[in-house]
Amino acid sequence: MATTGRHTQLLRGVLDLCLLAVVDDGPAYGYEMTKRLRARGLSIVGDGSVYPLLGRLERDGLVETYRAASNGGPPRKYYRTSADGRRMLVDGVSEWRATRDAIDTVLNPVESEV
Amino acid sequence: MARDEGCHRHRLESRGVGGVAVSRFVKECRREWKRLRVPDSVANEMAADLTADLAEAEAEGASPEDVLGSSAFDPRSFAASWAAERGVSQPPTARVGSPPRWWPIAAIAAIAVALVGALLLIAPKPGFHFQIGSSASGVTVVPHSSFRGPPPGLAAHASTLADHVHELGGLILIVGIVAMIATLVWIWRSRAGGGSGWSSPSAA
Repeated sequence: MATTGRHTQLLRGVLDLCLLAVVDDGPAYGYEMTKRLRARGLSIVGDGSVYPLLGRLERDGLVETYRAASNGGPPRKYYRTSADGRRMLVDGVSEWRATRDAIDTVLNPVESEV
Repeated sequence: MARDEGCHRHRLESRGVGGVAVSRFVKECRREWKRLRVPDSVANEMAADLTADLAEAEAEGASPEDVLGSSAFDPRSFAASWAAERGVSQPPTARVGSPPRWWPIAAIAAIAVALVGALLLIAPKPGFHFQIGSSASGVTVVPHSSFRGPPPGLAAHASTLADHVHELGGLILIVGIVAMIATLVWIWRSRAGGGSGWSSPSAA
């Protein structure tokens, strides 16, 4: 239970980056992004969904939207990274890597002792 | 534990009714967006996207939970969260979780109406007491022994009037009681919030 809680907490800080990363792969609509995340081994929907997060990215101008017909389905709202979103993604990934490295430095000795 | 049972039940319902569950979910979302005064154009757009995504997921054999996670069990929180993150919601006119501001006035008015009705109902009849009894020759009016009373015609008229006042009192009392019950139900529903107690989406 505690592990699940920590997992959620850890994810919360980088979910926007993860979502931006899959949006940066190419324009996609909501469900498509859920599938992309899952294909990369990240199932964030256990604790929520991508929609509110997409809404926040849209509000903050980090993604742009447009409507287009989907394959055989109704017109969908597609998301793509904006210039600000791209900058934020690059900066965020740098921050993440620096943080991850710092934490690894602290935790790696523990891992080697176990 | 209780939440798990609720989730399990909802999951079964979702699988059992398919598209009906989707439309019910979207309908609940729309209701929440309306309450939050989300512009119709935005609400329509979100509802259309959600419906299309859930339909696609269903066609692929995925459940609403696969798309929405735990939010699939709480359409109102999901809808509120989505609208808030998009910055398209406004404070609702009547806040959920608390009764409307005018409830004390409604409650006092209902009690006052019931009291008036009760007073009219128990109000004594005119000072000249009489009995109506039947005899072989028909209806006879028998005045109280200590009071000769008004003329029989006037007494009968007063009696009829008193009966009408009593009937009116009973009617007003019933209206007052119904109003009190309605006010209590309204307060209770306002406190309950009219939605489910499922949790809000936390990951997003």
